[in-house]
Amino acid sequence: MHRPICWLASIAIAVSIFGCAKHDSSQTTGTSGETATASAGSHKLRVALLPKIKGISYFSSCFKGAEEAAKELGIDLIYDGPTDGNPRKQAEMIEQWTIDGVDVICVAPNAPDVVASAMQEARAAGVSVITWDADGTAESRSFFVNQASAQAIGEGLVNAMLEDLGPDTEGDVVIISADATSENQNAWIETMKPALAKSKLKLATIKYPGENASNALADSQDVISKYPNLKGIFGISSVSFPGAAEAVEQSGKGGKILVNGLSTPNDMKKFVQNGTVRSFILWHTVDLGYLTIHVAKALAAGELKPGATSLKAGRLGELSIVGDNVMLGDILVFTKANIDQYDF
Amino acid sequence: MNSKSQAGNAFSFSWWHETVIGVLLLVVLLVAGWLVPGFLKPHSQLLLSRHLWEFAILALGMTLVILTGGIDLSVGSTMGLSAVVFGCVQTSTGSLVAASLSCLATGLCCGAVNGGLISQLRLHPLIVTLATFAAYRGIAEGWSQGNSYSRFGTNFSSLARGSWFGVPLPGVIFCVMAIGFAVFLSNTPNGRFLKAIGHNERAAKFSGIAVERIRFWLYATSGLLAGLASLIYVARFDTAKADVGKGFELDVITAVVLGGTSISGGRGNILGTLLGLLLIHETRLFVSRYWRSDELQWIVIGSLLILAVLAYQLIARKPRS
Repeated sequence: MHRPICWLASIAIAVSIFGCAKHDSSQTTGTSGETATASAGSHKLRVALLPKIKGISYFSSCFKGAEEAAKELGIDLIYDGPTDGNPRKQAEMIEQWTIDGVDVICVAPNAPDVVASAMQEARAAGVSVITWDADGTAESRSFFVNQASAQAIGEGLVNAMLEDLGPDTEGDVVIISADATSENQNAWIETMKPALAKSKLKLATIKYPGENASNALADSQDVISKYPNLKGIFGISSVSFPGAAEAVEQSGKGGKILVNGLSTPNDMKKFVQNGTVRSFILWHTVDLGYLTIHVAKALAAGELKPGATSLKAGRLGELSIVGDNVMLGDILVFTKANIDQYDF
Repeated sequence: MNSKSQAGNAFSFSWWHETVIGVLLLVVLLVAGWLVPGFLKPHSQLLLSRHLWEFAILALGMTLVILTGGIDLSVGSTMGLSAVVFGCVQTSTGSLVAASLSCLATGLCCGAVNGGLISQLRLHPLIVTLATFAAYRGIAEGWSQGNSYSRFGTNFSSLARGSWFGVPLPGVIFCVMAIGFAVFLSNTPNGRFLKAIGHNERAAKFSGIAVERIRFWLYATSGLLAGLASLIYVARFDTAKADVGKGFELDVITAVVLGGTSISGGRGNILGTLLGLLLIHETRLFVSRYWRSDELQWIVIGSLLILAVLAYQLIARKPRS
């Protein structure tokens, strides 16, 4: 009696799997689908770009720039990463790409130590490995594409906050970071502390909600109720910043407690328009992806060697290299006046 | 009642399931080998099998637990706690041997607590391990304060990354244990008692089987295996942190159930679990290497599970009287 239903259901599932599979393969021919044709003909450079988290707007905008550079340089670009930001999966993807024989792997490590072994194995197998967005351990990569110096970011954040509040404002500020082990965020916090010490603002606490939007929201609600003299919140990851802004907006203290931090303009437009956020900073993420692919290409072609002091990167022109860090350049400050000029 | 015909049915049932999963595995391998160049190369298969062994070791214990009609949701959290203990002991004593032993001991203790609560207080395994699932992770996170321990040296990481005649060391450990578990299950009285408990606990008790003692050791074993899996995980990534093994429990249960072990107990075997593990592993590798899409993996694996259950139902299910 149940048999016809069972048959129908299994046929439906089989069809949907294949339907879904076909649909997806046609969608991605632009990137990975070309792999087979490329390796059959003349050797086309294959570069794998690994974000910390796949599917959030920050890394999607980096991917946009990477695609642009890949098209310009005739590179076969692979873009994949864990949707949950799990560093174990990052390591496993690096291992797969090593076996697939890609030429360059560009890693934005979530936890440098976890992916280090996989990156070193890739290098031992002859794959060039660079880091971008966040650095790895020194022996696991040859170059790091550095979006902005920690100094510039930390001081940029504090200066933007002081400018919005007025330089003589007294009161508490808090930092909502990512994980306690996030290297980028920790470096920024270290440069923010002396900058804050020079002002009349007091750093009340630092919270570590992880790269998790609901935790960031909860932590922000916590500090809003706990510190009555709170003047500002720094949300220093692209996940914790919107979370903090959301919490301030919900509490009805928008404009009294200012939020700033690092995020993409598209994510923050609504908060800037309703006044919760007056200014925030970021580097040009599209350019970061674009530069990363240029560095990968230069490294594979032998144009970029250890000890180099500058690199010509397409439309970005000549960029400086400090040690083994390729520097993207200045940070951008977004305000109500200029936010509409950017689309990423 | 009618024990002869039931035994006959049970025999044909169990082999049907292995056949269905085996055929599905073969299909996945053939399609992947055809679409992904070099997919079936022994070298790459062996290297990438490293992604599998921790799950595989957990699945051995989970198969036995589910066979008795129980469940162990705490294995992932046990891994996390064992990893933190490993890190603490290693940094304070500097001895990898002491750290490894305390990692295993922690796993055993966690399992024994589960076993004690379940067998002595007669609490439901789902509730007990749901509680310890939260508690063990909480202790691990509170104790380590979000810190991670790393840099244990290349000697230690070769436990997970080294190989023996081309086979990764964890794979060798797993194979030996899998044979041991399979023999235990089919050739020893205690092994057969497990199925009896899952089939009908009351009947098992009345026929003199020490149900509660067996149950205690079962969960203790599951914990010990989680300690071992944790050790391999820590060696593979050279990092011990409280989030080790997060989410593993569901993946392992998926593999065991896909392999034909009945979630209500009484039916299942190690071969089925092995096939279930391999099917999930190869499917994951295929999706990830062909479509380069982390998100698609979950859809495909969910669909496979439903497909396998339906196919099995169609072929092997007898109409109920």
